[in-house]
This record gives sequence, structure tokens and C-alpha cells, in this order.
Amino acid sequence: MSLGLEALAPCFQGIIPAMLFTCARDGTPNTAYLSHVDYVDPTHVALSFQFFNKSRRNIAENPHALVHVLDPDTAQGWALRLRFVRSETTGAVFERMALRIEAIASYTGQKGIFKLLAADIYEVTVVSPITSEGAVADGAPLRHERRTQPDAVFTMKALQDLSLRINAADCMEGLLDSILEGLDEFFGFNHSMILLAGEEPGTLVTIATRGYDEQGVGAEARIGEGIIGLVAEAQKPIRISGLLRGMLYAYAAKVRAEESGWCSRERRIPMPGLANPASQLGVPLMVRGELVGVLCIESELPYRFHEEDKQSIELLGSYLAIAIQNTQLREQSESASETAAAVSVPAADRGKAQAIPRREVTYYRGEEHIFVDGEYLIRSLPARILWKLLALRESEGREEFTNRELRLDKSLNLPDFRDNLETRLLLLRRRLDQKQPDIRLVPRARGRFGLELGCEVTLIEKP
Amino acid sequence: MIEKAVREFIHEGLAAHIGTRNARLEPNGTRLTAVRVEDDGRHVVAYIPTVASGLVLQDLRDNGQAAIAIARPVDDRACQVKGEFVESWDATGDERAFVLQQWQGFLNQLDMVGLPSAASINWAAWPCVAVRIRVTALFDQTPGPKAGAPLS
Repeated sequence: MSLGLEALAPCFQGIIPAMLFTCARDGTPNTAYLSHVDYVDPTHVALSFQFFNKSRRNIAENPHALVHVLDPDTAQGWALRLRFVRSETTGAVFERMALRIEAIASYTGQKGIFKLLAADIYEVTVVSPITSEGAVADGAPLRHERRTQPDAVFTMKALQDLSLRINAADCMEGLLDSILEGLDEFFGFNHSMILLAGEEPGTLVTIATRGYDEQGVGAEARIGEGIIGLVAEAQKPIRISGLLRGMLYAYAAKVRAEESGWCSRERRIPMPGLANPASQLGVPLMVRGELVGVLCIESELPYRFHEEDKQSIELLGSYLAIAIQNTQLREQSESASETAAAVSVPAADRGKAQAIPRREVTYYRGEEHIFVDGEYLIRSLPARILWKLLALRESEGREEFTNRELRLDKSLNLPDFRDNLETRLLLLRRRLDQKQPDIRLVPRARGRFGLELGCEVTLIEKP
Repeated sequence: MIEKAVREFIHEGLAAHIGTRNARLEPNGTRLTAVRVEDDGRHVVAYIPTVASGLVLQDLRDNGQAAIAIARPVDDRACQVKGEFVESWDATGDERAFVLQQWQGFLNQLDMVGLPSAASINWAAWPCVAVRIRVTALFDQTPGPKAGAPLS
């Protein structure tokens, strides 16, 4: 007979801590809060085991347990009578729970300390509503049905609309913007960003964002850090619903760990995007096992991404990844076949220099960083490209360039295969728009762009 | 014995649950509306919503073993009181204001951590059964490596 555990999926999002009741062999009861209860199958759940505590010792002696969970949609509490079956330290359930805990831990500087030791699997023997949680106090009938059904998010219609929007994009910039606009318009996701694999191994670079005060283009995430880095590392989606609750729990553990000398007082990794997101979803963009990038969506609502959306999320990630990679390859191919030589156009009328500002552009060759008027602008390949363009403009008076000539320029040190030059140019262009609008890269034709300056520049090269 | 600082912490109006067990060592438990620490620090009175008190009261009368967990949602500071059942009574009108003041403190905590407000509106808070427990042990239960250590 079905216990109806499947219908309690919202209870297993970790939004509201669960309560675990156990009993020692000598009859002493124990009552403890639990960070996470996870759905395993129609007759089993998994409880997170993070610290060796009394509850864990009790279970080793006496397999009976009672857990109280709360449905965030209906406010109905549910009691699950459990019998301990086994502990898992590998496998899908363990990895899913571990990823969520690791993502939260990374925000509190505790990766590797606040971690899942095991996923304890319990057989659920009885499921029953808690009469005092969800019941009307005057004895009116219980309402077991959902009070407010969460809106379906990943509908077929929304996926179809997004697909049509994406198919209309004819370049990488248009594609990335279409994706984020579509997620906003058709799914209601107002805060999102796309990061693509960075030039340096182990890094991802923000290439497009939507819904943030700071666009953050060029911001980097390291693989293994934060939700984005963990998505990239695990190459699996991560969905966190009760992020605030989880972080509070993790932070409490961090304080205790510091007091015990378990970890150092290091700075937290800055939260990308929203200052206090209640829900986050990270989706790996994978093509044939290769990580193209990560899509990250945030919400101020605590329960924005639902269990039933999981398959749609993975499908969406695959589709977006293919679209992005196809566009990258197409732009690279078109650029390579571009035969027209770069046009030498004299630099802008020097007479105007009297009326426009002067910027000091400094290139640190060793670190490959560019600063403008003492402020950091960009690094790595986009920095090398910008420096090259500015130098050519100064020495030859040119202000129009082709992707092809950059691709053939050995001094830029592009990889031979799949160099993602167009993506790096897009990153550079957006970073300039955001931080230094006096210096602009303007597309003029496919594979061709202009360097337009609204300022005079002084170029300084340092070791 | 519960010292003054812990007593003040418990009286803030926090998340509280009581756990018991039956003769087959199967646990039972329920949420509490309030917890009052008596002046001597050696007894607590747990206020159980009457509608939820059945199995827990039965266990307490049968074997007397109780474990009360109290946690502050905003920082997850938590402690657990272990004890033995002394007596119970239907909470009186004189106790109502204290009990509901603590309950409101708990609801305020939920608001502060941004939990859905719907999660509390239909929960039973009153009337209550008052259960007097003699404290036998007190433990730290804040998540982390010290969880489970004696507090006094």
C-alpha cells in the first residue's frame, strides 16, 4: 500500500528544519533538529548525518525513529515513523544530499568541514498528519490538501516559447540575451546569469546576466566553490530551496567549529548575484560530457524551484548547451573563412582630442591585467586582445579589425582548437560597456568590428 | 540545573519540542507552545497543545522519560533538557498570557528568518496541557562539533 510519500515532496526541500525523535537502548529519549530529510523512494527517506551525535548513537542501538517535517505549501506538519536501514556514503542519494550541503558550506567558508558524512536511509512505516500543525485549533476538520499549489514553472509551453526565442538568435550575444530574456519572460526567473568556461582551467567567467544592479560581466567563479563552482565540478544541477535556513544552520556550525579550532576564520566567498537569495538553481551546460558553462538562476522566494522540475531543468541545460556550443562553432567557422583584409581606417580626428578626456591604460604583462586610470578592467585573453588593438591603433592608426587576424596572431596565444575567440570578444565588449564606455568594440559585420574611442589614451606597459 | 543565562534563552519564545518513548522504545514527540523554567532551575514546565498531547502524555505517565529541545531559528543556537515527569495539569487562564507570549516570540523568529508565514497560522497553540519535568541533564545542541556536550 502506498504511504503517499511522493505527495510530500515539498516537505523534503530543507526549507524548514525537521525534528528527529530517537530513543537510546536504556529508554532515554532524544529530541534534535535535523537540517535535511530527503525523499528516496515511495517507502524510504534519507536523513543527513553530519556530526556524530546522540541521535546517531541512539539509532545504532535502536532503529526506531520519528521525524516531523513541514509542507511549506500547506503549513501541514507530517509525522513519519521510521526504521533505520543502512548508511550510504556513495551513490545518487548521498551525492545529491552532499552537493546541497557542500554548496551551502562553501558560502560560509566551510567546504570540507560542514559536510555530509553519510546519508542514513530509513524505511518509512507510517505517514500521518500532525494534528496540531495544520489543524484549525477549534477542532475544525484538517486540510490535508495543498492550500496553495505552487505554480508550474517548467511548462511545455514555456520551454517551447524559449526555444523559439533562442532559435531566432543569430549570434552569441543575441543567443545569450535571448536565453536570459526568455527565462524572465516565459518562466518568471528575473535574476539569472550564464558563465562559460574560462581561459584558465578551473574557472568560469560570467558572460551574461539579467536582473542585477551590477552586471558582473567578467566576474569569475572557481570550479568547486559556491553553487556555480559546485555545479561545474559535479556536472549536475543543484537546487537549493531553503538557502537562508541552510546557511543559518551552517553558520551556527561554523561558529562552533571555529571555537573548537576545526577551521580558520577565513572570509566568506562573496555571494554572486542577489545579496540574500532564498532559492538558487545551478544548471550545468553539458554537450557530450563536456562542460560548456553554467546557468545560475536565483530567486528571493524560498521555494521557487520544485522537485518535479528536475527533469525539465536537465533537459533545458542540455538544450542551452548545444545552442551555445553550436553558435560558438559557427562563429568560429565563419570568422575563419572571412578573407577580407582588415581595413585600415585612420584613427579619429586628433583635433577632437582637446575636448575629450584622456585615459591611462596600463597593461601588466606578467599578470596579463589591464587597468584604466588605476582601476582594474580585465585580465587574461581579453586583456591581451584589448592591448593588441590599442597598440595597433596607436602604431598604425587602425580602428577596424577582423576576428580572423586576431585568430592568426600568434602573440595572442589562442588555443589551436575551439579557441572561443568570439566569446572572449563579447566578454571584452560587455566589460568595456560596463566599466569603461569611453572605449568601445562595435560590431560592423560578421567577423569584423571597430575600436571606437571617446577618449584619448596613453598606453603604459609594465612587466 | 538550568542557569540564569540558559533560562533567559529558553524564555525568549523559541522553537520547542518534547520527545518521549513508549514501552517498545518507539519515540513519540510533539511541538510545544511554551517552556517555563522554574526559579530553582531544577524543573521546567512544558506546555503541550492539548490536541497534540495524547501519546506524549501517555508515555510520560507510563515511564516518565522526557527530552525537550529548544532552538532559536535566527542563529540555530539550541539546547536539550532531559528529565523525568513529575505531574501534569490543564493549563489555566493565569498561564495563558505567558504561554501565548512565548508562542508569539516563536512566530516572530519565523518571520525573522523569512519562513513562509503560512507555516504557523493554523497551528494549535492553545489550550495546553502543562507538564512538569524534573531536570536531570542539560545539553548543548547547537549544530557543530560541540553538539551533545553537557551545558552544566
